[in-house]
Amino acid sequence: MRSAQRDAVAALYRPSCLPLLGFAVSLLLGLAERERAKQIKLSALECLRVLLLQGECQEHRWLREEQAQRCGDLFASFLPGVSLALSRIIAGDVKQGHGVTVSAIRLFYQVVVSVMADEQLARVPKQKEKPPVEQSRITELIVHRGPEWSKSTSEKLSLLLRKIVELSSVHSHWRVRLELVELVHHLLSNCRLSLVDSFTHLLKALVGLVNDENSEVQSRCNEVLQGIAEQQVIAQNRALADVLSENLHSLATALPRLMNSQDDAGKFSTLSLLLGYLKLLGPKINIVLNSVSHLHRLSKALMQVLELDVTDVKIVEDRHCVGGYDPSGSVQHGVQKGRSQRKYFRFFTEEKIFQLLQQVCRVLGYYGNIYLLVDHFMGLYCESAVYRKQAAMVLNELIVGAAGVGVDVLQEREVSLSMDDLKGSVTSILEEYTDQTNWYLVTSIDTEEISHEQLSVPRSGLAALPGAACSSILPSPDPHVTTRTMNSNVWQLCIQLEGVSCFAAVLGREFRLLLLSALYPVLEKAGDKTLLISETAQGTLVDICEACGYDSVQSLINENSDYLVNGISLNLRQVAHQPHAAQVLSTMLRHSDASLLPLVEDVIQDVLSALDLSYSDQASTFLGVLHSLMAALVQWFGPSCSKEHQQRQAAEGQSRTLSQTQQEITSQEMERFFLDYVKQKQIAEGNLSDSGDEEADEVPSLAKPEPSNSDAEGETPLPSHAQLAKDVMERCIHLLSDRNLRVRLKVLDVLELCVTVLHPHGNHLLPMAHRVWPALVTRLISDDPLAVLRAFKVLCTLAQKCGDFLRQRFSKDVLPKMTSSLLSQAAASARAGPVYNHTLAFKLQLAVLQGLGSLCEKLDMGESDLNKVADACLVYLSAKQPMKLQEAAQSVFRHLMRVDPDSTWLFLTEVCCPHPYKAPHTSLHPVKLRGMGRQRDEFTDNILLLLEELQQQERAGAQRAPPP
Amino acid sequence: MAQPPPDPRFVLRGTGAAVHALRFSCGGEEPAVPILFSGSENGFIHVWNLKTHRVDATLDGHGRKSVYWLETMDSKDRLLSQGRDQRICLWDLAEGRTAVMDSVFTENVGFCRSSLLKVAQGRWLMAMAAKTLEEVQVLELPSKTSVCTLKPEMGAKLGMPMCLKLWQGSCGSQPSLLAGYEDGSVLLWNLSTGKVLSQLICHQEPVMSLDFDSERAKGISGSSEKVLSIWSLNEQQNLQAQKTHRLVNAGISDITIRPDKKILATAGWDHRIRIFGWKKLKPLAVLDYHTATVHSVSFSDHKSPSDRLLAAGAKDHRISIWSIYTQT
Repeated sequence: MRSAQRDAVAALYRPSCLPLLGFAVSLLLGLAERERAKQIKLSALECLRVLLLQGECQEHRWLREEQAQRCGDLFASFLPGVSLALSRIIAGDVKQGHGVTVSAIRLFYQVVVSVMADEQLARVPKQKEKPPVEQSRITELIVHRGPEWSKSTSEKLSLLLRKIVELSSVHSHWRVRLELVELVHHLLSNCRLSLVDSFTHLLKALVGLVNDENSEVQSRCNEVLQGIAEQQVIAQNRALADVLSENLHSLATALPRLMNSQDDAGKFSTLSLLLGYLKLLGPKINIVLNSVSHLHRLSKALMQVLELDVTDVKIVEDRHCVGGYDPSGSVQHGVQKGRSQRKYFRFFTEEKIFQLLQQVCRVLGYYGNIYLLVDHFMGLYCESAVYRKQAAMVLNELIVGAAGVGVDVLQEREVSLSMDDLKGSVTSILEEYTDQTNWYLVTSIDTEEISHEQLSVPRSGLAALPGAACSSILPSPDPHVTTRTMNSNVWQLCIQLEGVSCFAAVLGREFRLLLLSALYPVLEKAGDKTLLISETAQGTLVDICEACGYDSVQSLINENSDYLVNGISLNLRQVAHQPHAAQVLSTMLRHSDASLLPLVEDVIQDVLSALDLSYSDQASTFLGVLHSLMAALVQWFGPSCSKEHQQRQAAEGQSRTLSQTQQEITSQEMERFFLDYVKQKQIAEGNLSDSGDEEADEVPSLAKPEPSNSDAEGETPLPSHAQLAKDVMERCIHLLSDRNLRVRLKVLDVLELCVTVLHPHGNHLLPMAHRVWPALVTRLISDDPLAVLRAFKVLCTLAQKCGDFLRQRFSKDVLPKMTSSLLSQAAASARAGPVYNHTLAFKLQLAVLQGLGSLCEKLDMGESDLNKVADACLVYLSAKQPMKLQEAAQSVFRHLMRVDPDSTWLFLTEVCCPHPYKAPHTSLHPVKLRGMGRQRDEFTDNILLLLEELQQQERAGAQRAPPP
Repeated sequence: MAQPPPDPRFVLRGTGAAVHALRFSCGGEEPAVPILFSGSENGFIHVWNLKTHRVDATLDGHGRKSVYWLETMDSKDRLLSQGRDQRICLWDLAEGRTAVMDSVFTENVGFCRSSLLKVAQGRWLMAMAAKTLEEVQVLELPSKTSVCTLKPEMGAKLGMPMCLKLWQGSCGSQPSLLAGYEDGSVLLWNLSTGKVLSQLICHQEPVMSLDFDSERAKGISGSSEKVLSIWSLNEQQNLQAQKTHRLVNAGISDITIRPDKKILATAGWDHRIRIFGWKKLKPLAVLDYHTATVHSVSFSDHKSPSDRLLAAGAKDHRISIWSIYTQT
């Protein structure tokens, strides 16, 4: 055959040779089908191909179209037999080897193409040619390829093709699958019209193979798809589009069922099929979407597939420690950027399935009419809480797809979406997301919050949306919200937050305009107590920063603080939203720096006035804000000032010990001592004019009683942060005696911070301290141990700042009570076992002992008070006491040594004296100390240690100050 | 049931001083951004972009002296501003310029807001308190030629003019001037003769502000008392007291009738903005947001009624923007 000359070949393919050919063909087919030997099978098929299609022989390429046409006519009569036999071979036992199957498939499509090619069929005349008489018998064998014939043939072929496709698309050998791709390719490109019926199966095979495990099959498949798309086969061919949309419809219908029954791999292939259809449809997608039933099916399928698993209890449990100030927080967020929370779906677990679904939505968004889609899914979003999360997810992806981000498509869309359209859609979605019915969901059942929620929810419904239909879907005020609902709410918020991220990413700098409405809600959620939500919201903030071109979250907040402040101030006006507004303010403060202060000052005043109106029920919410405010102020203004101050104090303390240890007293020092004495005396008499002023030491004249002076100084304008601290402190005074212990504890914390901030402004701090004192004393003396503990901490801070201003009050109001409680507790702690270390009483003792020493030093206590302290602490030097308490008691004595070494020495030696002291001269009384000659007892060790230290200190002092 | 009064749509912050004057310019077509001008006590005029709610530009032309009157001439590119530095400046704001084109030295030490009236294309009349205490001067703009000086009769003891309103009846009729004086009386002046047409004593205290509806020939004035006074003008050009409306708290610093003449807003010293129906003076709402005296109220001139806004500027440095009764 190969070597046959042109005319010989031509002769062979004349109609008259039909019977001969027929014989050859059937022989070869028989061989190929029934022969055992693989080699023979292969060569039979090869031979058949040569016979039918002139092989791959270069010489015969010249076969003119006319001739090809004639061949087509000729072989049309063999087609049924050939195709049947071949399909049997293809369907044959796997053992026959892939080579056979491959070549059978190849032969199959070549034959089909040669007979059924569109071009040929188009040229077939309508009427059967009148056959020459003499050849009538043979001619009867020739089939006329008219429309009827092609229709019936294509029906039959479609059955065969379906069988082939089904079998070979799951064939274990990749070459077979590759060949199948080829088959689809050839048939699709050549028999577009004639084989329309089979396209369903062909495309299904093709699209299904896109995600084949073999990369070669995959890439070829992609190429073919690309080719099809590029030729705009589908765009031009309405029939094909119909087929596709029909496929899509049935797939969408079956999808939920398949999702339920298939395993992950099956789901994966089903979904890739869906994606493939959508991609193939390309710009024609709108035809499908415009049909209500299609859109409905598709969206319902997506809703079902994307259903989230919300049974995880941990989501609700994970929460922040409220009010915890984490200055490093803003740094960490950089790391979590852009990572969305891992979701758990009911119907699948694999991440790649989710990615597929994402692609599906994006492709829809890319090609589809965005208004139609957004509208439809928004409808679903509002329709039922069951669909809400899924619809939100789909909406997010639609927008991403519409912007053409992260979509993998076969062909460009005709018109890309304008920014304005995109912005319009985003704005409407955003509005819906941040609507209060969808944004303020119950995510926790805090005992603390529940009262507010109950109180707020009906109110917000009434005040904001009078008579609106939405009020029916307001989160129910029912406290018995199940964990499931809350989980679902948490997820919904996360998805909505992620949506905001997407929108920002899509709109880029254009999103800045939307910050007006979007930033406030996001910040609100960033302060949420549920960890998942707040993390997502923080991620969203980072995304927004990136999209809008801000350097950091901080600059995002700073530059948009006017929007935020506005939101806060307006929300503060409604009781229901006050907690949210407070949260936003805290978040703002936490993420920002001092430059923010002038902007928020205004709104902080609003907060304070709102607090004034609702001390009873909202106090704890607002205290959270005040705490973060003060913490921020300490961070912004505190450290530098206080550091400076501490240095100064340290220097002073040193000089004081120096001067005290100096043996020689100069006249200057005498004078100084005297002036100090006068001043101290005046203070002791109650003249408070400027005792807190450190500089006053150098200026004796200031120590004169000048009541007008202090007034004048009080009027000097405070820096704004200090003024704020003062205002806050004022509120704290009232709240110190709140009924709720938690509130009291919080107040004490805030108070401590206030003192730290106000510290450089003694003239303002002292009057405030004066006013705080009574309330603070009550906390110290008669309150829950927890509160006492905190209050004592505040006292220590206050003492550090106010110094001797508090001395008298302390010694009068607090010290007696404190020493007596120390003494009474000592018995208990001496007896207690190791478990005692974990009790509150122990912690209290420890804290008091640790603080008392420095307190005495700071307050510059008088001798009798020091004795009281020493008495009380002595019991804790006992070896019977827990080790930590002993150490703490030692520290008290160390401080006492610094204040008054001599009397401390005396006190200690009274208890225990290691050395006998001899009077230097006989005329003096012999030295008698009570501690002398005592038996070794429980105190000995500690006292000896302390005396040793005391001696060293004296020696060091003497060395440092050499005699003049 | 009456709806609760709404919250402000938005609050503009950042003027850094009490706000004394407000003027919208929102009539432009779509690409043009709606704008609100605000004049504050520290002499700055802020140009607020109502899309972003941020300051687009800050004009400094009154030597840090309070700006208490703002008016646009046709477009937002021409702005008139009056300040306590006794000057009225004409600003050229086209294409981002912020330059003073022209200015008039009023030599008046009071704080009487001027009044502008467009009489023909490219021709305006402006009434302003003049150097001599009781006088009002009317200028023609842009030529700045004096049209007339309105001097009360000797011994009238009216005191200083406190508020002015130039108006013109149906097309072609003579423009007239309504002026409220320190002694509580409102005078109607004929500009062509320079004579008083009518006088009505509306208040016991100085008239702080007035507005006039030329269609209904009806006006309203407020003073430092607890009373709003409504008066009308009959065919004989006589002012007649119609009725008074008692308020809870004393002091009205500004009154504005909405351009569609359906409602009016008052700025109160009691920090509140009050909304009334104009026809019967039915109290409609009390808008409570500010924490200090409200100095100025102004309605926007948006093309579409549903966009229209009310702005109020107060001593607490804030400008509140409200969207109220846009459906009615």
